[in-house]
Amino acid sequence: MAVEHNKNSERPVAEKGEHIIARHLIDDDAIKEEKNLVIDGVDVSGRWNTFIETRVDSEFDRSFFDEIQKTVVGSRINRCWQCGMCTASCTVTPLYRRFNPRAFIYMMQLGNLKLLKKYTDVAWRCVGCYKCSQRCPKQVNPAEMMEALALLIKKYFPEEIKSNHQLTIDEEVKKIYEGMILGHGRLDLANLHTSAMRKMGKTTELMSDKDERGAIFKMMKDGRALSVLRLGKPHKWHKSKDAIDNYLRHTGTLEQEK
Amino acid sequence: MAENILVIGGGPAGLHAAIELAELGVNVSLVERDTFFGGNPKKFKYKYLFPDLQPAENVIGELIKGAESNNNIKKYLSANIESFKEDGKKFSAVIKSSTGSETKTFDSVIVATGFEHFDPAKDSKYSYQLFDDVIDIKDLERMMGEGNFTRPSNGKPPKNVAIILCVGSRDRHVGNQYCSRVCCTVSVKQAIELKEHFPETEVYIFYMDIRTYGFYEDLYWKAMEEHDVQIVKGRVAEITSGPDNTVICKGEDTLLRGPFEIPFDMVVLASGMEGGPQSPEMADKLGIELDEHGFLKQANVTLSPFKSNKDGIFLAGACTGPKAIADAILEGGAAAMDAYIYAKKNS
Ligand SMILES: Cc1cc2nc3c(=O)[nH]c(=O)nc-3n(C[C@H](O)[C@H](O)[C@H](O)COP(=O)(O)OP(=O)(O)OC[C@H]3O[C@@H](n4cnc5c(N)ncnc54)[C@H](O)[C@@H]3O)c2cc1C
Ligand code: SF4
Ligand code: SF4
Ligand code: SF4
Repeated sequence: MAVEHNKNSERPVAEKGEHIIARHLIDDDAIKEEKNLVIDGVDVSGRWNTFIETRVDSEFDRSFFDEIQKTVVGSRINRCWQCGMCTASCTVTPLYRRFNPRAFIYMMQLGNLKLLKKYTDVAWRCVGCYKCSQRCPKQVNPAEMMEALALLIKKYFPEEIKSNHQLTIDEEVKKIYEGMILGHGRLDLANLHTSAMRKMGKTTELMSDKDERGAIFKMMKDGRALSVLRLGKPHKWHKSKDAIDNYLRHTGTLEQEK
Repeated sequence: MAENILVIGGGPAGLHAAIELAELGVNVSLVERDTFFGGNPKKFKYKYLFPDLQPAENVIGELIKGAESNNNIKKYLSANIESFKEDGKKFSAVIKSSTGSETKTFDSVIVATGFEHFDPAKDSKYSYQLFDDVIDIKDLERMMGEGNFTRPSNGKPPKNVAIILCVGSRDRHVGNQYCSRVCCTVSVKQAIELKEHFPETEVYIFYMDIRTYGFYEDLYWKAMEEHDVQIVKGRVAEITSGPDNTVICKGEDTLLRGPFEIPFDMVVLASGMEGGPQSPEMADKLGIELDEHGFLKQANVTLSPFKSNKDGIFLAGACTGPKAIADAILEGGAAAMDAYIYAKKNS
């Protein structure tokens, strides 16, 4: 069977899949249609060669699961039971509803690359706040699972990464993080919260809400607030700090101080 | 001469064990640390019990009456085991109560010290005790027992209520991996009670799995089919304050794949069961073992679930793991039989 693409066809060609009834119900990439195609000398351009791919998943690809499980960051993929605590906790999801750590982990578990491919624009958006990992009842460490996902997307969809979405770092967020990590050796969520509120111009809302104030007062009273402050720096922090400092300076991430 | 058997804990399991033994003519010493018998159902004033919504009084009241009216049972309230030691095949214990200390020798012992409710304040994401309208199932049980279903913050009927399952259970972070078994059924029961009281109130249950095992499933169906209780799949990750004196539940609807932040008038946390401080205390005092879940360890979970690892010391009820009252009573009877056999052989 000779198949040739009829480059110079004069035929007027319809929009992709235009003649399909209820076209709006079918995803673009499920429709296979060559605008100009000749098979065995017969011109079957346009609607004559239209195929709609099956919309039913026809396999679970476990090789994918195995691949992720072998990585350090993805080793706990077998633990996830899809409760949604990670997505519910996530800093990013309210901004990009399509960024859904739980759903991504499920897609990875079942090896659904076809679906994952649709999220290459948001899949790397994790900001590493670890709120998900702190709350995940199975200690899957979803924060690091998002790293596994980013690596995977880089490997399987390099084109998408290159063409569409260049990662840009929010300088301000970076500064807040660096200040916190280098200064205190840990993330200070309260500080992060207030900085974010300030950034959004919500300075007055910070202390004006009655319940929020009440909550803070209660936490002071029963000592919970104090216990947060008392956490202190990690053990032998100055050593780690020097190492991080060194590294950042070496890579030119941190500006040289005089 | 009649056998002497010590029963520690006067909840459903301990009460039933004591009554059965007394019926056999055994001299029973029933030691309860509280000022009353009846265990957790009495303490938190359970009013109606699953699965059949019969008045708790029918069950707990009967057990208490049965024990109180039986002269073969020596009752010790506000009491504890001060010291305990083995004495050949027998045991010697010092019982301390409001009336003083007493040293006695026993042929065998039944431990029925039960469970403690998980304290939801230990899991800060649920904001328990920060907001008046965030309560847990034991609080609601007590409120219902006192005929008071209303919002704690303003005494009005709630427009909508969120019930959140698996609080303090099935969660590595709080250290409890096990399922507490009863909280799903208690929750659907309470949803029905809420709806019967306030038909206008919308009730939502946030679940990961609904484990109303066996015939308890009937209550789950009833909640949905007769009372329009809505279930939503996803665990709630945060509770914050909302507008108009509401509390906001932040979670993910895992079926629709998306986050939600929904204000509720009232949130009920289905907190689970824990072995409590009494389990390690008993393990320590009696020289028996604790299991990896913080409950007392059974010699063989399948073959001899009422035996501890020490001959002559038997276990019954929620001290060996979460369970319903029917199971606790059943175990009380079974442990009584085991303890009786041991005593008979050695006295
Ligand atoms: C909110 C809620 C609602 C429930 N509703 C139902 C229901 O509707 N139907 C149902 O079947 N089940 C229900 N359950 C389960 C029920 O509470 C338990 O099955 C039952 O209480 C177990 O009985 P128990 O005797 O083993 O333990 P407990 O009830 O815990 O009793 C143990 C007793 O031992 C005493 N004790 C503890 N330590 C010591 C010590 N060191 N010395 C002396 N005494 C001690 C305690 O004071 C207590 O009196 C519910 C549970 C919860 C959490
Ligand atoms: S919180 Fe953990 S277990 Fe739950 S969906 Fe996320 S990764 Fe899976
Ligand atoms: S670490 Fe990433 S995935 Fe986890 S909550 Fe933060 S932003 Fe979301
Ligand atoms: S009984 Fe239901 S609410 Fe309780 S721990 Fe088990 S699944 Fe969760």
